[in-house]
Amino acid sequence: MQLKRLFFLTILMTLSALAISQTARVVGLRDNTPAVFAFTGARIVTEPGKVLENATLVIRDGIIEDIGTRVSIPADAAIIDLNGKLIYPGFIDLYAVWGQNDTVQTAPSGTAYWNPQVRSDFSMASAMKPSERDAAALRSQGFVAANLVPAHGIFRGTGAVALLGEGDPTRLIIKSETAQVINFMPPRGPSRGYPTSVMGAISLMRQTLIDAQWYREAHTAYSRSPQGKQRPETNKSLDVLSKALAARTPFIIEATDENYFIKTNEIAQEFGLNLWIRGSGTEYRRLDAIAATKVPVIVPLNFPATPAVDAPEDAMNLSLEVLRHWYLAPQNPARLAAAGISMALTTDGLRDKSEFLKNLQKAVKNGLDEQAALAALTTNPAQLLGIQNKYGTLAKGKSASFVITSKNIFEEPTSVEQIWIDGKQYEVKPQREDPRGNWTVTTPGQLFNVQFSISGESPRLTADVKLGEKSIRSQTVRFDNHRLIIAFVGDSLGITGNIRLSANLAGDELLGVAETAAGSIYSWTGLRSEAPNAERRQPETPKTVLTLEDRFPSMEYGVARIPEQPRNVLIQNATIWTQGLHGRIDNGDLLISQGKVVRVGHELVAPSGSIIIDATGKHITPGLIDPHMHSSIGGGVNETGDAITSETRISDVFNADEIWTYRLLAGGMTAGTLFHGSANPIGGQNTIIKMRWGSLPSQMIIEDAKPGLKFALGENVKRSPNRYPNTRLGTEQIIKDAFLAALEYDRQWKNYNPRSGNIPPRRDLQLESILEVLQGKRAAHVHAYRADEMLMMMRLAEEFGFRVASFEHAIEGYKVADELREHGAVPIVWTDWSSFKVEAADGIQHNAALLNRAGVTTTLHSDNTQLSTRMNWEAGKTLAQGVSEEDALNFITLNPAKVLGIDHRVGSIEPGKDADFVIWSGHPLSGFTHAEQTWIDGRKYFDRETDQQLRDQVQHERAVLIQRILEEPAESRQQAAPTRGRRPMEDEQ
Amino acid sequence: MRIQNIMIALLSVFFLPLSGKAHTPAPPQQQPIALVGGTVHTLSGEAITGGTVLLIDGKIEAVGLNIELPAGTQVIDTRGKHVYPTLILGRTTLGLTEIGAVPVTSDLNEVGNINPNIRAEAAFHPESSHIPVAAVNGIGVAVTGPTGGIISGLTAAMLTDGWTWEQMTLKAPLGLSINWPNMADASARDQALKELNDAFDSARRYMLARKAAGSNQAIDIRWEAMMPVLESKLPVMVNASELRQIQAAMAWAEKQNVKMILVGGRDAAYVADQLKAKNIPVMITPVIGAPSRQWEGYDFSYSLPLKLHEAGVKFSIAGEGSAAGATRLSKHAASAVAFGLPAEEALKAITIYAAEILGIDDQVGTIEAGKDASIMITNGNPLELSTQIEQVFIQGRKIDMTDKHRELYEKYLEKHRQAGE
Repeated sequence: MQLKRLFFLTILMTLSALAISQTARVVGLRDNTPAVFAFTGARIVTEPGKVLENATLVIRDGIIEDIGTRVSIPADAAIIDLNGKLIYPGFIDLYAVWGQNDTVQTAPSGTAYWNPQVRSDFSMASAMKPSERDAAALRSQGFVAANLVPAHGIFRGTGAVALLGEGDPTRLIIKSETAQVINFMPPRGPSRGYPTSVMGAISLMRQTLIDAQWYREAHTAYSRSPQGKQRPETNKSLDVLSKALAARTPFIIEATDENYFIKTNEIAQEFGLNLWIRGSGTEYRRLDAIAATKVPVIVPLNFPATPAVDAPEDAMNLSLEVLRHWYLAPQNPARLAAAGISMALTTDGLRDKSEFLKNLQKAVKNGLDEQAALAALTTNPAQLLGIQNKYGTLAKGKSASFVITSKNIFEEPTSVEQIWIDGKQYEVKPQREDPRGNWTVTTPGQLFNVQFSISGESPRLTADVKLGEKSIRSQTVRFDNHRLIIAFVGDSLGITGNIRLSANLAGDELLGVAETAAGSIYSWTGLRSEAPNAERRQPETPKTVLTLEDRFPSMEYGVARIPEQPRNVLIQNATIWTQGLHGRIDNGDLLISQGKVVRVGHELVAPSGSIIIDATGKHITPGLIDPHMHSSIGGGVNETGDAITSETRISDVFNADEIWTYRLLAGGMTAGTLFHGSANPIGGQNTIIKMRWGSLPSQMIIEDAKPGLKFALGENVKRSPNRYPNTRLGTEQIIKDAFLAALEYDRQWKNYNPRSGNIPPRRDLQLESILEVLQGKRAAHVHAYRADEMLMMMRLAEEFGFRVASFEHAIEGYKVADELREHGAVPIVWTDWSSFKVEAADGIQHNAALLNRAGVTTTLHSDNTQLSTRMNWEAGKTLAQGVSEEDALNFITLNPAKVLGIDHRVGSIEPGKDADFVIWSGHPLSGFTHAEQTWIDGRKYFDRETDQQLRDQVQHERAVLIQRILEEPAESRQQAAPTRGRRPMEDEQ
Repeated sequence: MRIQNIMIALLSVFFLPLSGKAHTPAPPQQQPIALVGGTVHTLSGEAITGGTVLLIDGKIEAVGLNIELPAGTQVIDTRGKHVYPTLILGRTTLGLTEIGAVPVTSDLNEVGNINPNIRAEAAFHPESSHIPVAAVNGIGVAVTGPTGGIISGLTAAMLTDGWTWEQMTLKAPLGLSINWPNMADASARDQALKELNDAFDSARRYMLARKAAGSNQAIDIRWEAMMPVLESKLPVMVNASELRQIQAAMAWAEKQNVKMILVGGRDAAYVADQLKAKNIPVMITPVIGAPSRQWEGYDFSYSLPLKLHEAGVKFSIAGEGSAAGATRLSKHAASAVAFGLPAEEALKAITIYAAEILGIDDQVGTIEAGKDASIMITNGNPLELSTQIEQVFIQGRKIDMTDKHRELYEKYLEKHRQAGE
């Protein structure tokens, strides 16, 4: 006890000297306290998988001097007998967001990049402000060092590894410029500039990296010979980035779910980035795809809180997705490790860092191998950061940075007892005295030699006072970690009146004073005769282990595997609406093979082994296609930060792992276009997908569809008061201006000779996609309501020599039906939406009918995900306006396929096309009909009968999970369930 | 294409407006009218094939076979056609709002949470373009009203044809519209419920004072309007969708001893037996909608009418709230049929059941002698998407079948024709 306290004093004294810069002038006395320690009798885990039993560790001036089972202890070493305790290498956190109180400025400063979100030149090493609170929080969890990463911007700057001790940055930072950090979360707040959306942020990242590459080329070319060249700008952000790219500096990008992970890797590959990903904790949901990336993952232990299920209505509001994640999230680290993924564990993502060890122990309990866990906390981060020669393992010559615990750190309820960083000990928790136990009190003259028996949980302690055989409960007992205060009425014990005592508590000794009822003051001493009861823990009752089948997506109605594609399927006796040359075939057969339509006709012969489906009384149509939707788009449907955002790509943020994909299938929808919103005269690049439920986003995209670009006219684009345009007049001009700029851009490239040694033109993603429109390589899809603006856009397109592919919504399409036909633009309309805003006031139910009658290729669309689940009824409505059945069905099949450039694959049931079709309960255009089966690529993705089984399965799995939650202690469960199913992706209009 | 053009040409002739003017309300019925030879779907009994409906002075005089027609009866041949009662839109904002994005065109939200005295009919705008659109789509009666606060105000059953709101009022007040508070946030809920209960307590004390012998109680315009509700002469139309709301509203209505209609009712199937036991009818809105919970079946909303039907709960289908969406009433009913509700029940849910729940079944909802002559001639089941409504009569008035949609259609068809087609 004495010895221990002495060490403490020593350490505190040396701290002050070591905490400041070595080059700083010494103020006052020099500090020459020795720092040599020998830890004996320890179980030392020197590195993952290597354990020394009953070993000794000698450290001198922060470095391990010796370690092993036969170590001679230097004479000058202070000995600390660990008596079987464990020593582990100190943990390293690869992603710690603190130590910086800078923030993004609204405008760039100096020679920074034009967009203030690009802060690639920001360096944590220069900006670090030590935070003892944050450091102590991590130390308490066993960490000795952390890669501090900057917190603001999209390009955030570079991180630096800091020790988690005390001192100024010159002593704490052991490695500068570790990695560039990128985050796609757009800035929040009212005065948001570009970008406002995740897709905008990703686009900014792409353009900035292109700019960095160009910056290097431009300067190289210019420095070779400035002759005839425009001097390239000086830009510190691009300078740093271009050097980082050349040096293959790691880039850490945060991926907020498993699909962003996969996408982030794709984007990083475009630029050959040396990528690490700060993961989300949901990687297990797409484990194979994530393992295939071979990207190191920084994994948070952000396990969800136990949801509230006591009230049935609360439980009802929990999705199976949420319930599954609650159960499976703690398995994420184990699954990543088992898949051979290089992994580092981080405290980031935990609001309360003191949860880390508990969650680590939970992860181990959920199958994470202890060696893998230790590697993820020591050797893996050390190697990634390039500090493995000093940190991450315990060996001679390495830093004396380690953790001491009394039990296996990976098993509950172990906590860190001591933490040493570069040979200095840091207090983990302030030492707390415990007054509980039995005390024998001695007073001079044996005035009241009572016994105290103190029990309870501070601050609610109780003390029984015993004298001889008699015993009473004290009125007061308080303890403040230093003084113990007790008061009791002594009469029943034979002591007169109120007795008040207080004492200093140290170890097992009390040094006290007392005042009697008569006012006499006495000293007293107390000795502990029985230690406080060891912490009593309820033996944990083993909880039910569930086996949850993997589902894709990991939610209700998710599939264990993609539906199989049978070799041959023959569907017989159906009314087949081919929407092709054969028209409608009554009592017909459809033969499909390996995902393609082979034949449609009467009494077809099934190849042997065919699956035969009797569809008597049913109707079959091509799979429905919605040419305009906004579902499954993450991080914002609009990039509102600028009027022209043609560089943004929906494919960057597309994620169909949501219940609506399944609901769309249930309505016969098999393909659709996901559009950027209508906030900008020129918005973003759309993505055309098939509803391949359970597939990865990239596997749902129809690669050979015609690329497209969203434009918008009218009210939506002119309502940002501080942004051009504010009128329809200005809208025409800004689009024209962009077209002219794209042509000029084209001219620059055409004039550039790569062999000339000249500075190449800067690649401009914004203008590239516009140029593709002008060149006819990319379709222009134009949001428009009024006739005048559609006419304007067609004439503008004609002026630039291209054709508008489609007008979205085209509320007044019927007013310019002939002009639309002449130009060749396809109106994409609703059946009965009108009057929700002024430019929609002239919406009429006859719009599609009149357009169709005028010979315009016409399509229906949803713009609203719920509407998209019942497009057959929408088409049916046009029958009342006199549209023929075949034409009405074309509105939702062949015509949208044409406008999207996918009619070579889908849109009709014809030999050679994809086997995408729907089996309906009756006439497909009747309001009384529902879809029974939906097939894509010859795979059955929806079946109303299977749906019933899935509902039972969902109910069963929910029930099992809810019962499992009830095994958790009631106090750990939340009070109410805030989590709800995803809302329908609302329309843009 | 050819055939289609001919068809449209024929239709155009049939639909030719009475004059070149915009939609014009029809004059009162001048002479007896007989619809002869069609299939009459009375909805009070079996359909009558080759039946006759005789309309006199705005009322149905007789319906059946072999009906003697008074001299001077205008006979309309409905052979091959179908005759139905007009539809009832059970809860809408029709006539009180024009363009959603332009607040000045809306009269739906009054200041404050407690507005029991504001009455829909007095601001019903006969010139609203949405009213004729609803009428030509077969809606004869629309129950419209404000939507704001907790006690939104009084609803009114309005006819969809007429020159003034006075002429167009079928019944007003019809019910007191209440928005049941969200039950998820306990403090907001308790605050809102206190406001609601305070209003009812005040109104009840007011009624006591007003009815006391020799009372000189000053008129309180709010509580005065609530007296018919407290006397169970007028129902409360409680908007509630989530099950906690529904249960709380049921218990509340019983405690307050008021007649309740549940409007919305998304989660009603979970407590169907309780609704039945307490005899609370449900006006479902919408049927075409999304499940609110991710695990619920995709057809959760479509199959609600079937579930209530099977549980024996009195219900109607009230379409959706928006004025411009009035035309979708029959589509909501049809979607219930797609998911199992018998078609006849779905049709009744937008006619007679709605009339019964709203207390206007003595006037509308079926084709029966003595009821209003609010009838339509169609070429098929009005729930079917392809069905065309050829003529609507509202209280015997043969209405102008030209609405804004048709006017614009005709106008731009002319543009197309002039272009040389």
